[in-house]
Amino acid sequence: MIELYSIGKEAACLNSSFILSFFMRGRFTALMLLVHLLAVALLIHVIVRCFVSLRRGRRIQEAVIYLSKEPGDEKIPVLYWENSIGREKTCDILLSEPGVSRDHAVLKRREGGWIIADTNSRAGTFVNEQKIETQTPIRPGDRIRIGEAQLVLTARDEPSQTAPQRKVYRGGRTIFTLLETTAVFFLLTLEACFQNQSFRLSPFLPFLLLSTLVWGVYLYSIVLLKRINFEIETVGLLLTGIGVLLLFGVDPQTAYVQLAAAALGILLFCAILWILEKPDFVSKLRIGFEVLGVALFAATFVFGTVVNGAKNWIFLGSLSIQPSELVKIIFIFAGASTLDRLQTHGNLIEFIAFAAVCTGFLFLMHDFGSAVIFFFTFLLIAFMRSGSVRTVVLAVAAAALGVFLILQFKPYVAQRFAGWGHVWEYPYDSLGYQQTRTLTYIASGGLFGSGLGNGYLKNIFAGDSDLVFGVLCEELGLVFALAVCSVFDLLALYTLSDVTRSRSTIYSISSCAAAGLLLFQAMVNIFGVTDLLPLTGVTLPFISAGGSSMVCVWGLIAFIKASDERTYGARRRRDL
Amino acid sequence: MRTVGKRSFFLYVLIFAFCAGMIFLSCRVFLNAGEWASMPFNAHLYDENDRLRRGSVYDRNGTLLYSDADGYAAASKEALLHLLGDREGNLSTGVFSLYAAELSGYNPLTGNAREGNLFHTKTELTVSAEASARAYELLGGRSGAVFVYNYETGEVLCSVSTPSFDPDHVPETIETDEAYRGAYLDKTISESFTPGSIFKIVTAACAIENLPDWESWRCKCSGTLPIGDDCVTCLGAHGEIGIRDGLKYSCNVVFAELARELGKEKLRKTAEALGFGRSFVFETAHTARSVFDVSNAKEIDLGWAGVGQYSDRTTPYHMALLMGVIAGGGKSAQPYFVRKIALSPGVALYTGAEEDAPLNLSPQTAGALRGMLRENVSDYYGDALFPDLQAGAKTGTAEVGEGKEDTAWIIGFLQNPKTPYAFAVVIEEGGSGYRAAGSVASEVLAVLCAE
Repeated sequence: MIELYSIGKEAACLNSSFILSFFMRGRFTALMLLVHLLAVALLIHVIVRCFVSLRRGRRIQEAVIYLSKEPGDEKIPVLYWENSIGREKTCDILLSEPGVSRDHAVLKRREGGWIIADTNSRAGTFVNEQKIETQTPIRPGDRIRIGEAQLVLTARDEPSQTAPQRKVYRGGRTIFTLLETTAVFFLLTLEACFQNQSFRLSPFLPFLLLSTLVWGVYLYSIVLLKRINFEIETVGLLLTGIGVLLLFGVDPQTAYVQLAAAALGILLFCAILWILEKPDFVSKLRIGFEVLGVALFAATFVFGTVVNGAKNWIFLGSLSIQPSELVKIIFIFAGASTLDRLQTHGNLIEFIAFAAVCTGFLFLMHDFGSAVIFFFTFLLIAFMRSGSVRTVVLAVAAAALGVFLILQFKPYVAQRFAGWGHVWEYPYDSLGYQQTRTLTYIASGGLFGSGLGNGYLKNIFAGDSDLVFGVLCEELGLVFALAVCSVFDLLALYTLSDVTRSRSTIYSISSCAAAGLLLFQAMVNIFGVTDLLPLTGVTLPFISAGGSSMVCVWGLIAFIKASDERTYGARRRRDL
Repeated sequence: MRTVGKRSFFLYVLIFAFCAGMIFLSCRVFLNAGEWASMPFNAHLYDENDRLRRGSVYDRNGTLLYSDADGYAAASKEALLHLLGDREGNLSTGVFSLYAAELSGYNPLTGNAREGNLFHTKTELTVSAEASARAYELLGGRSGAVFVYNYETGEVLCSVSTPSFDPDHVPETIETDEAYRGAYLDKTISESFTPGSIFKIVTAACAIENLPDWESWRCKCSGTLPIGDDCVTCLGAHGEIGIRDGLKYSCNVVFAELARELGKEKLRKTAEALGFGRSFVFETAHTARSVFDVSNAKEIDLGWAGVGQYSDRTTPYHMALLMGVIAGGGKSAQPYFVRKIALSPGVALYTGAEEDAPLNLSPQTAGALRGMLRENVSDYYGDALFPDLQAGAKTGTAEVGEGKEDTAWIIGFLQNPKTPYAFAVVIEEGGSGYRAAGSVASEVLAVLCAE
């Protein structure tokens, strides 16, 4: 007997010997395999399209304006949105005249035009022979004196092309990619409908909700805000959708929570993009963010509840949130900085203190996985800001000492990781139970998986969160899982390729930190459950069940989106 | 801006680490997936009634031996238990254990999660259910083993080990009852026995290869061969006797004398070339080691070692293989018993293949031994034992001491081109090799040759 489910609830039963016989002949398996292969092909195509479009959509890196040196006719090209001027070899605009400080000034481009700011130089910076005190707007033809160097801001030869030249991928193509994304969801839904050799319609409910979300975001971003880039949102929605459909096979309730969290995350995504539009304004909010972060941790520490050994949950009625996820976003806000701020307030002490407090709280809460992720993000940001290998080495040494002390006084912490590297010796106790199950079911899934909903790993403890990579492999196959994971790598690769093109170092630093955090967290999760690294309870971004994690991940990719200079391009065009 | 750009390089390190990790992980999965997927806690291995999915298993003639739905076939369940395996997985050398992953439909491409729900596997063994059942019956509750294989193709035709038990009703006393001692071992490969006179073939091989005048070599048998204070005894006083007749009448004095004359080193070399001191890979299981170790042997021990006593040990599998190599003129296919494992639509997951057995015997020596062993049957045991099959054979009656009856052996081969079979039968406490083991071999081969 084949059970037919109505949307949402189990309802009527349909006795259909025809469908049954179709199942039995094995043709059905071949058909489902075909559906799956099509889904894999489309998934890979969407991912490739998004990243090709991201790469091609970038501006060709050429001079936007020039600084003409007087006397003589040497023209110094100004390549970036924020340019350091000084005697130091690493400066974007290198001046070797006497009187020029190592890091003398910063020339930056903002919505209204070009701005010059003196960065605590000894001799000062003069615009039209006036010593500047604050950030000063300048126009083509203005004369700038830096030390003994005389510079004139010169527009490019063809004034019509001052706007960065770019190849634009307009709506039509985005629509096509998004249609493909929807098609991937549809095929996965179809797979989920035939779970365990019986047919049901219920997976179409999350599918419809997902599609509404996808196209809602599209309408908001492309039609309403007239943005021209949608790639980051597309890959974000793609992974979110895959996660939701995967979780629907585990427990529909979890999937709906996940969907709601994704919607909330997208709101946060929009909010962060809105905040980040004015980089100098963000710089001023820094202290506020830091206070908020510490307050959140303190609140968790006082009012938090212990779940699975880590006290990092706050329960508000039936709603449970993990504040440490939200602090990840605050952490990046606190760490990022514009170039002129970086040169005038380059001191890391404040940020180090903030990072130490955050990591300290996480240790006290016994959330070691998150502590490692915070620490790693701290290293990334600290290095991006200071370039100081010494700081990084010192921080790592301090952390190593800390870990050593913890292991000395609390040896049971080390005991938790005793199975690492040889989990097959402990298949029946906590040291290797989850990892061996994960590996076995990854192997069982083969390249193309058992079909959505037909897996067993989800029944193991933390199957829908920590072990979700295994569930992904088991039900959708290794090829699908690898394609999904390649997104984390490609996001980082794209961030790297865009790092000097973004509109401020605040975007460069925050996007690198966000991409690095996502990639590192994915590594800790995937390699943890597969026994390449010790198993710590961190989530796989986008896929693992967890509302707070989902919201946070969407917040993180907002930083990557913001670093793409096209994000604010449409609006800027209107201003010009 | 440029500086910040340069500092971001450490994301590259991370990207590289992630890629490297994923590649490493994929390789590890690829290399170990079969083993991991066949772990007993893998729920994909079980059907909806919580029984291990093994599909169905057939013998060489298409007789059903086992199926998930019907369980073990009644006629052969004890006889073929060791080749199939029990339900609990205690018999680790059977097809259920050795090919657990394949039987569940596992393949590297689609794993065993998807097919598992809809397909089942069909396994063909090379053995004959009828002959195996007959062999089990003939062993008649005695502890022993029968092993027959085709030395041209490697197909195992009969492989039976006793004591066995009914896998559907495992006897409660299996751990304690002396009658079930060794029931969890496949004695064809996993237990080694004292060879007794069948080892004389190895000593003869050594003599043929090392003594140019081996055909005219003679010694005098008066019933005993005194060595030091001790002596090697013989069943009769054979008078002046050579190697050929010595093998025929199984004269201990001839082979003890030969062992002394050839010396430890030459004997060891020949024994090793013929597979002593090593383990064979049968399908994917490892056989017990055959032993010929005279490194600390006194002269009397060396004499006894030459006639298959002292510390000599061997397995039925190994002795049948030796017979196959002799019959095949120095070459035999390596035995295998799983012909094919296929998904029911016809996709082969595993196919047994011919391989050469790893024994080194020159064609000349093989030819000489083949002739001698053939004469054993035609001139001494009588062709009535294996009518019209041109058999060559050697019996053995090995003393095991401890007040136990002798171990009965017969090993041999058929030269009939239609039935190029090599065989080994061992019966613990069976008494005379010719009477006890010979009759079992004779009847089992008769069944096989009639097929």
